Amino acid sequence: MAAAALTSQLNALVNNMFAMGLLDDQFQQLQMLQDSTAPDFVSEVVTLFCDDGERIICELARQLEKPNVDFDRVDSYVHQLKGSSASVGAQKVKNTCIQFREFCQQRSRDGCLKTLDLVRTEFYDLRNKFQAMLQLEQQIQACYPKH
Amino acid sequence: MAFQTQGSNLRALLVEDIKVNRMILSQMLRKFQVETTVVQNGKEAVELFLGGETFDIVLTDNLMPIMTGPEAISKIRAMGATDVMIVGVSVDANSMEEFKDAGADLCVPKLKLEILEHILQETRSKKNKSSA
Repeated sequence: MAAAALTSQLNALVNNMFAMGLLDDQFQQLQMLQDSTAPDFVSEVVTLFCDDGERIICELARQLEKPNVDFDRVDSYVHQLKGSSASVGAQKVKNTCIQFREFCQQRSRDGCLKTLDLVRTEFYDLRNKFQAMLQLEQQIQACYPKH
Repeated sequence: MAFQTQGSNLRALLVEDIKVNRMILSQMLRKFQVETTVVQNGKEAVELFLGGETFDIVLTDNLMPIMTGPEAISKIRAMGATDVMIVGVSVDANSMEEFKDAGADLCVPKLKLEILEHILQETRSKKNKSSA
């Protein structure tokens, strides 16, 4: 597919992510940080965020399965996910993490489990869209072979 | 955005435990050609100061393992490092008071390039005044 069509697809995808509230203006900060000295900056940060996010979500599920939940430990993991979400502009995930922390403070296992389900759904939705975004970027780059 | 750098490079200490955040903040500082040292918790930051290292600006998160940002700031200020610009960076609404009580000059919920540029300009002015 021609570069122009792929670029149009990529722009539509990213615009949709903003429109649906998945991303906020912090993501534009990441885009501004990419330059000739760091040409893959956005993909590196997004990939790291996705890998870390998955690890944290798995750990949260494990912690909440324990008979005696260590809510401080759970809160610490949620704090990490909230922090990295805020930094990359993952607005929905960040906002759900805020709710999650409230349930940690209330020591509510049910509240935490319900919110974990929600954060998992939102995270994987975002991750899928990030992966589509990175794939489109690679396809666009392939249209311009390096010399 | 054109990234302004004026005069000699500033030296920054970045204190942040979350890898994604370290990557983003480091790149922001690199854009302004700030010479940056990165550590992962407050204890490591304090140890640098104890070892005689000096910085023009410290950017620190709040909640970190081993030692929090505010705790580290209190110790750094208690050492007599009163000139260094210290900026707390945290999305938590109740962090601002903790940072200010500990001796931070500023607290921001998120670092954006425009905000960082302004902070660095202020840091540079402060540095120029004290060396005049």
